[in-house]
Amino acid sequence: MKHVLEGSHAVSEAVRLARAKVISAYPITPQTHIVEALSEYCADGRMDARFICVESEHSAMASCIGASSAGVRTFTASSSHGLALMHELLHWAAGARLPIVMAEVNRALGPGWNIWMDQSDSLSQRDTGWIQLYCETGQEVLDTTLQAYRLAETVNLPVMVVLDAFFLSHTYEPVDIPDQQSVDNFLPSFVPRISLDQENPNAIGQMAPPAYYMEMRHSIQMAMQSVLENFIEVERAFEKVFGRTYGPVVPFACDDAEYIFVMAGTSASTCRQAINTLRDKGLKVGVLRLKMFRPFPYQDIRKSLKNAKKVIVLDRNCSFGAGGIFAQELRSSMYVSDNHPQIYSYISGLGGRDITVDHFFEMLDRTRKSDYPDNESVWIGLNP
Amino acid sequence: MNQSIQRQSPNNVSLLISQSRTNTLGNKTGTWRFVRPKYQEKTAPCSNECPLGVDIATVEMFASRKDYQRALQAILMENPFPAICGRVCFHPCESACNRQFLDQSIGIHHIERFLGNWGLSNKHSQINYPRLNGAKIGIIGAGPAGLSAAYFARCLGYQCDIFEKSDKSGGLLAMGIPSFRLPDHTLTGEIQRLNTDGIQFNYKQSITMDQLDTMGQSYEALFLCCGDALPISLNIAGAMHTIDGLNLLRQIRKHEAPVLGGTVAVIGGGNTAIDVARSLLRMGAHPIIVYRRTRNEMPAHPHEIDAALDEGVVLKECLSPIEIQKESNQLQMRLQVMKSGEKTNKGRQIYVPDGNHSETMPVNHVVSAIGAEMEIMWRNDQWDLSMSHCQMKNKSDIPVFWCGDLTTSEKTVTHALASGKQAAIAFDILKNKGPNEIHSLCHKLEVGTGPAMSFEIYRQGKRKQRSNSEIVNFERVNAAYFHNIPAVQVNRLSQDTCLDTFDEVISGFDESQMIKEASRCFNCGICNDCDTCRIFCPEMAIQWDQNSRHILMDYCKGCGICIAECPRDAMNLEVEP
Repeated sequence: MKHVLEGSHAVSEAVRLARAKVISAYPITPQTHIVEALSEYCADGRMDARFICVESEHSAMASCIGASSAGVRTFTASSSHGLALMHELLHWAAGARLPIVMAEVNRALGPGWNIWMDQSDSLSQRDTGWIQLYCETGQEVLDTTLQAYRLAETVNLPVMVVLDAFFLSHTYEPVDIPDQQSVDNFLPSFVPRISLDQENPNAIGQMAPPAYYMEMRHSIQMAMQSVLENFIEVERAFEKVFGRTYGPVVPFACDDAEYIFVMAGTSASTCRQAINTLRDKGLKVGVLRLKMFRPFPYQDIRKSLKNAKKVIVLDRNCSFGAGGIFAQELRSSMYVSDNHPQIYSYISGLGGRDITVDHFFEMLDRTRKSDYPDNESVWIGLNP
Repeated sequence: MNQSIQRQSPNNVSLLISQSRTNTLGNKTGTWRFVRPKYQEKTAPCSNECPLGVDIATVEMFASRKDYQRALQAILMENPFPAICGRVCFHPCESACNRQFLDQSIGIHHIERFLGNWGLSNKHSQINYPRLNGAKIGIIGAGPAGLSAAYFARCLGYQCDIFEKSDKSGGLLAMGIPSFRLPDHTLTGEIQRLNTDGIQFNYKQSITMDQLDTMGQSYEALFLCCGDALPISLNIAGAMHTIDGLNLLRQIRKHEAPVLGGTVAVIGGGNTAIDVARSLLRMGAHPIIVYRRTRNEMPAHPHEIDAALDEGVVLKECLSPIEIQKESNQLQMRLQVMKSGEKTNKGRQIYVPDGNHSETMPVNHVVSAIGAEMEIMWRNDQWDLSMSHCQMKNKSDIPVFWCGDLTTSEKTVTHALASGKQAAIAFDILKNKGPNEIHSLCHKLEVGTGPAMSFEIYRQGKRKQRSNSEIVNFERVNAAYFHNIPAVQVNRLSQDTCLDTFDEVISGFDESQMIKEASRCFNCGICNDCDTCRIFCPEMAIQWDQNSRHILMDYCKGCGICIAECPRDAMNLEVEP
């Protein structure tokens, strides 16, 4: 049944329906609404789960690691500085191969203090071994959170479901909340592959000397390499029950496009509007939205971009000294293709600044006029 | 030591993690240690304030566990009369309670009263007195001090002969406290505890100073516990028209009181004045307490003053009687108006006559309750031993101890009980170790900052292992472990019904209320087996077996987490020896 929900509560509903057993979190804007709702569900009995209040995000993730090691479905949510504080334990969760699901609301890092949309926080965690899935709508947030549990539990890697601060987390949209039975059909109860056992005591995550460690890291990479096919499997199963599917990348008008915008998150909606206008003018443009960032879906990207002349990457982040992070990843993934398109890197919309249709026109205009991309990312929408 | 496990999932996803089934016993983290934790119990602020030094934290711990037997034994170790003290003590423990800094103090006296009642109704309060040691002592007076001296002396093996002027035991408890505060059956039930071979009560035996020398031939020591038996009378014109307050209370207790109706002025500001006024209310009179200072200076306990005013007693402040004239059926009492003057160097406000201002109060009766003093024959100011709650003078080669109201600065039942305890212990030390050891040994028995002494420490009980002089104040309590729980309200007779009867006003806690209230206690300074230390120990070096907790020094790395977490400061960190 459809409800008008804010994006944050789309996550909360999914976690409730997924029957998570342990939730631990520390409040931080713009994530707080997610766990606020969940704490109420735990308190009033709508969820049969334990909500662990902690003194920091570091402890929140530690609690999830403990609970997941004990073999139960767990959840946390964070943003920005909170996610940064979790950093050490994000490595641990992945290395311990625990299927923890986290909602991460993209927010800028200070100073200056800024609570608005920015991708720097999640992208700073790209090397921790977490699967990262970026969403565009409230419905996608709910669906992806449900899928995230099944995916995480299949490949034994943690999943970060990423949503834009305010543009998605605090925006109300009609969202179809599925019934519990359908969710149970799609997501059966968790059967852990790793769990502590009082009858058969053992410690996990113990010392791994040089003779063992490398194989364990290789195993994470192998698991990451299996994510894409498993994600497709999960989406197929999801589609069977709910009739919706998204894909690791979401192309729009890309088939015959000469110019293709690439980005993640809600700015893709604005971009599609720009493309409709541009198409009306006879320009062959399209947009490829990246849903999956880790693992990086090379094959799907190459397939979607193979006919483009120029690719326009929009980053709401900056790796200082190297430019937009999506652009870097895209360059490296396209380099091995023959006749790969030129890749133009643009940075805009940091710290919650609006990205408008005009900004996309400007990016296209600059790209069309330029024979070769600049060395450095071009910043769009800076104050004069 | 380590192994890795590889498990295949149904869809062949690689999963390789490290796992160990060996334990960590080989890792002797104790070698890292340069400080070590130690279980070190301390004194709770309530015990420090208790004139008897009762181990209140332990009492509340057992009470909250419904282990009433041990809770009661813990009280009886220091105080023979919990059912009495739960009713009449001024409970300074509650003013010191650390819980007041979180929400409200524990209702310690209500819990004590419940335990005392439990002991009386279940006959669980029998004392296992030791064999008599052959030595005999004589005790003059069967009031609180004398009964306490007999109890503790008997617990030390002495045969006690008590000589009481009246025909029953209890002294002020029996004669000076009305039954709506202390019912007869409670008093007699508690005194029953002293019914044992080796304690002999001799009633209607009035002893004078002259008889002491003769008595000295039969006893190894004498204890003077006669109390302040001489009422202080008003020294004004018309004083013969006043009724003595203490005597009136005694008559009421014996159902021999004269009928007193109409307006009755009660002169005085102590507990006797309050008790007289509340009794008069129950007899249908309209009592007015007339006090020469203000309520703030009244020596009566504030909760007693509150109770009296709540019941409808009128208080007139800053008035001092100067003359009483009898006019037909009425008395005209002329009162000097007083005003505040300077303060004494002890900080007490002095009141002086406000010029010639006076007023006249027509009343039907005047009751004088301005105090009592010792009989002149007991006056003495040269001592061979002077202690906080008793004094001793050698007379005809035997020690004579002045106890209770004869020596204590604060004249309360609890101080009198403490006096009897101190005198019994002091005599035992005197007899066994000689006079020079008394002060130093007694100092070791002090609870907190003293002067309260612990009989349990003297008997080499578990309490001896405590750091008794260390007091756990609120800053030393780990308040993170406690949340706000309001104090349990005690049951009491309604305002309407309580004035029709001399029945007890406060009916006390029922069992569930008592447990709830005792569970609020922080148990400051003592280990109540909460197990927090063991749960938090990162090396699992704290072990629980055979009903005790001990620290495995092979593994304790001296991190101090157990001490930081202990909610009640029952552990210390010490430099490694």
